[in-house]
Amino acid sequence: MSNPERLRISGGAVYDPANGIDGAVRDVCIEGDRIVAELPRDAPRLDAAGMIVMPGGVDIHSHVAGPSVNQARRLLPEEHAADPVPAPRLEDGTLARTGTGGTVPSTFATGYRYAGLGYTTAMEAAVAPLGARHAHAELDDTPILDAGFFVLLGNDDYLLRQIAAGETARARDYAAWLLGVTRAYAIKIVNPGGVSLWKSGGDPGRRNVTGLDDAVGSSAVTPRKILETLCAAANQLALPHPVHVHCNNLGQPGNSATTLESMKTLGGQRAHFTHLQFHSYGGERGKPWQSAARNVIEYVNAHPETSADVGQVMFGPATTVTADSPVEYLLATTAGGGRKWVNVDIELESGCGIVPYTYKEQAAVAALQWAVGLELFLLSTDPWRVVLSTDHPNGGTFLSYPELIRLLMDRSYRDECLKLVNQKLLAGSALLDGLSREYTLGEIAIVTRAGPARLLGLRNKGHLGPGADADVTIYASDGDRSKMFATPRYVFKAGTLVVEEGQLRRAPAGRRLAVSPQYDTAVTKDLRRFFDAHATVSFDNYGAEPVP
Amino acid sequence: MTEHVTCLGCGCACDDIAVVVKRSRIAEASNACTLGAAWFGDGVVPAEIRVDGRAATLERGIGKAAELLTGAARPLVYIAGDVSCEVQREAVAIGDHLHAAVDSLAATAAGAVLAGQRRGRATATLGEIREHADLVVFWGVDPGERYPRFVARYATARGDLGKTRRVVAVDVGASRGPKDADVRVAIAPSDEVDAIGVMRATVAGRDASAAQFASAVDLARQMMQARYTAIVADGEPGARAIDPDRAEALIALGQALNGPARCTLYALRAGGNRSGADAVLTWQTGFPFAVDFAGGPPRYRPGAGSAEALLADHEIDAALVIGAPATIPGPVADGLDRIPVAVIGPRASTSAVRPVVAIDTGVAGIHEGGTAFRMDDVPLPLRASLEGPRAALDVVRALRDKLVHGAR
Repeated sequence: MSNPERLRISGGAVYDPANGIDGAVRDVCIEGDRIVAELPRDAPRLDAAGMIVMPGGVDIHSHVAGPSVNQARRLLPEEHAADPVPAPRLEDGTLARTGTGGTVPSTFATGYRYAGLGYTTAMEAAVAPLGARHAHAELDDTPILDAGFFVLLGNDDYLLRQIAAGETARARDYAAWLLGVTRAYAIKIVNPGGVSLWKSGGDPGRRNVTGLDDAVGSSAVTPRKILETLCAAANQLALPHPVHVHCNNLGQPGNSATTLESMKTLGGQRAHFTHLQFHSYGGERGKPWQSAARNVIEYVNAHPETSADVGQVMFGPATTVTADSPVEYLLATTAGGGRKWVNVDIELESGCGIVPYTYKEQAAVAALQWAVGLELFLLSTDPWRVVLSTDHPNGGTFLSYPELIRLLMDRSYRDECLKLVNQKLLAGSALLDGLSREYTLGEIAIVTRAGPARLLGLRNKGHLGPGADADVTIYASDGDRSKMFATPRYVFKAGTLVVEEGQLRRAPAGRRLAVSPQYDTAVTKDLRRFFDAHATVSFDNYGAEPVP
Repeated sequence: MTEHVTCLGCGCACDDIAVVVKRSRIAEASNACTLGAAWFGDGVVPAEIRVDGRAATLERGIGKAAELLTGAARPLVYIAGDVSCEVQREAVAIGDHLHAAVDSLAATAAGAVLAGQRRGRATATLGEIREHADLVVFWGVDPGERYPRFVARYATARGDLGKTRRVVAVDVGASRGPKDADVRVAIAPSDEVDAIGVMRATVAGRDASAAQFASAVDLARQMMQARYTAIVADGEPGARAIDPDRAEALIALGQALNGPARCTLYALRAGGNRSGADAVLTWQTGFPFAVDFAGGPPRYRPGAGSAEALLADHEIDAALVIGAPATIPGPVADGLDRIPVAVIGPRASTSAVRPVVAIDTGVAGIHEGGTAFRMDDVPLPLRASLEGPRAALDVVRALRDKLVHGAR
C-alpha cells in the first residue's frame, strides 16, 4: 500500500499499556511521524479489524553495532555464507542493500530483520568510548531502527583514578563529558573492576574480581565503589536511563550472592541490572549449579527502584560477545576448549571477548540457564521492571523473541519443552515445580515495548498516545503466538510503512538516540593532561563528534 | 597550522601531526616520520578529469564511468588506499548495486585474517603494549623499517614498567627483529612453524626437548613467567610472503599463553586506511575482503575470488578503482592494466593502469575529512589541512546516484 501522510488504523484490538488500553477496539491515528488524537473522517484508513495493534518494539539491550560486534562478524564467515540476505525490492522499485545473517548479521540485515519482527528501536548495549566513532558509523548503516548505545565505564583508568582519589564530583563530570563526546545514551558498567584486573596481567588466580570488596589496584577502588560512584553520577545527571549494570561473576555458580549484594549496594537508587539470567545461579564455585532465580526476583519484586532485563537463553546457535573478557577466556578454555576465541584489551578503557557458542537442550548448564530465565519472567510481579531480552546474540538472537513470547504465553507448550531438556540441574527450580502463569498480550506489550521505553526514559516510544512516535506494529491474531509475533502484517516506523505482509517495503534511515548532560568543564583540563600522559589518541580526536 | 592531523602513511595512524601550509603547499608536517613526511609531501595533487586520456567535465567522467560499469558482464570494484571509511561505504554500495566483485587493499593480509577466522585471536589496541607489556617479542620484524613511529608511540613503556620491561627480537633468517633488543633468538625459516608449535607445547606443559628448538623453548618459558607478553608480527607481506601456517601458529601460541600469563598478538598493517576497508566490508557484508555480489547477496571467496585471482583468470571485464591507484599492489595493478578501468581517487590521472576514466580527488587526511581506522581497528577522525580538488565522497556519491537513478 501507499504511505499516506495521514492514516487511521481502524478496528484493531489495541494494546497500549502505557495508556491503560488492554485490547480495546479503537482507532490509532497517524499524522506525519506522530500519533495524533484524531483525524478528519475522510482520512485514509487501514482496516485492522480482527488484528492486534501495538507500539513498535523496543529492545533495551542488544549487541548490534561497533567494534566488538564487528570483530564477531569477522569471526563468523561460515554463518554468513549459510544465511545470505538478498536485496529487498522496495515500494519505489529500487533494490535495498543486500547482506548476510547468522547470529551476528550485517548492518543492513540487522535493520531489516528487527523491523520484520515489529521492532523499531534498539539499544546497542556496550561500546568502548574508543570505538564510539565506529559504532555511530555502523548505526548509520543500520536502517529503520532508532538506535543509541551505552558507553562502557567502570574499568577505565581515569575513572578508577578519580575513585582512588575520592574525587566523586570529578568522576561525575567525567562521565557526563564522556557521554557527550561519544554521543552515547547511557552508562554501561561491565564486571566493574574485573576487566581492569584481567588487562593488568599476571597471576592467573588474580585476573578477575570475585566479590564487591576486592581491591582493584588501589584498596580504595572496589567493584562496590565503582557501582556507587557511577550510579550516583547517572542519577545526579538525571540521565533518562540509570546505570546499566552487568554484575561481577557472570555465569559463575553461586553468583546470585554477588548480584543481590550489588542490588543492595545501589538500594534506594535507580539502577538497571542487565541479562539477569546470567547472574542468578546458586551453588558455589566447583560445585553443581542450581537456580537462584527465586531469590533474585524476589528482591527485584520488592524494590521498585530496581529494574532488569532477563537475557533469556534460547536453544540453538549464539555468539557470546561481551566487554567481560575474563569470562570469555573461561568459556573458551573450559569444556574441552577448542572454540574460536577473540580477546581485545582496549587501552585505558575496557575489554572485549567473543566465543561462538551453541546452547543445547541436552546440555545440563544450558538447560539450567533456559529455566532460570523463564523463572525470572514467570515469577516477576512487575512486567514494567523486568523486560524481555536475550542479550542478543549472547543468549540467542533477537530472531528468537517470538519463540520466547510463546514460551511465556503458552504453558502447555512450555511444559512440553521442559520435558525435552536435560533436567539434571533443575532440582528445586520453580519451573520444575510447576509455574502456571501465562503472560497476557498486554503483559507482552509491556515487556517488549512499553516497559523498555519507560526504563530507557524514551517518552515518545513504547506507547500510542498523542505525540508518540508513529512506530506501530500490527499483527494478525494467531493462536500460535510464535508465528504471530514472527510475522507482523504491518510495521510503521515514524509513520512510514516499512513492512507489509512480511515484505520490506521501505528502509528509511533511523534516528540516533543520545544524551548531552551538563558538567563542570574544569574536568577537561585534567583530562587533557591525562590524555597527554597516557592515551595514544589525541584528546582533540577522541569521541565521535565531527571534527572541523 | 592544522593540529591533531592523522597520518595514513602506515597503519600506525599517528594523530599528532601538525601541518603547516604556506602558499597553498604543505611546508611542514611536524612529528611525522620520514614515511609520513613523504605521504604528506607538499600536498599538491592533480585536479584533472580525463576520459580516454582527454580532459572532460565531471558529468562526462561520471557518465562514462557509469556506462563502462553497467556495460560490463563481470565488473570489479577495488578499494585502494587514501580514502575515508565514508567513501569506502559508498564503494561497497556501488559494488552491491552492480552485482560486482569487491576487494580491497586489506586483502594484502588475507592469510593472517583467514587464520584469525579459523581460531580467533587474543589481541589488544596498541596502547596496551606500552601500558601493560613487561615482555615485548618482535617476531621477525623490526617495526622501524615500515612503521617508523610504532615503537616510540605504542611500545615504549614509561615509569616502573620501563625499568623492568624486556624486548626480545626473534630473527627468522633475514627477517630480523629490532637491533636494540635486550635478547635475540634466532630461528631458521624452515623451522619457524615447528618452533612455534614447540613453544605452544611448552606452554601446555608438554616437554619438547629437541636441541634445535632449545632457544624457542627458553623463550616460551620467559613468556610464561612474564605478566603480560606482547607479540608483534608483520601482517603485511614484504621480504617474505604471509605464511598462513605461521600466522595460525602465532595466533594459537598467543592464545595459549593466556593460561599461565597474559599475552596479546599484534599484526602490523600498512597505511592508506586499509583497516577501514576491512571493517566497512565486514559490517556491510559480513566478510572482510574478496566479496562477490554476482549472485545478489554477498559471497565470500577468499583466494579464487580475490581481485588478484579474478584478474589473473581474465574473469573481470571492467573495473572501478576507488582510491589512490599508486597504492594498488603490483599483481592487481598488472591485471587492471589489461582491462578498461575507471579510477576515482587521489592522483587518478597519473595512474599507471591507464584508466579510461580518471577523476582526481583529494587525499583523505590531507584535503578531506572523514574517518580512518588505525591498524588495531581504532577509528580516528581525519582532518583537511589544505584545499584540494573535488572531494572523493562527492564524486563517488554522484556515481552511485547515476548508477541507481541514471535511467530515469
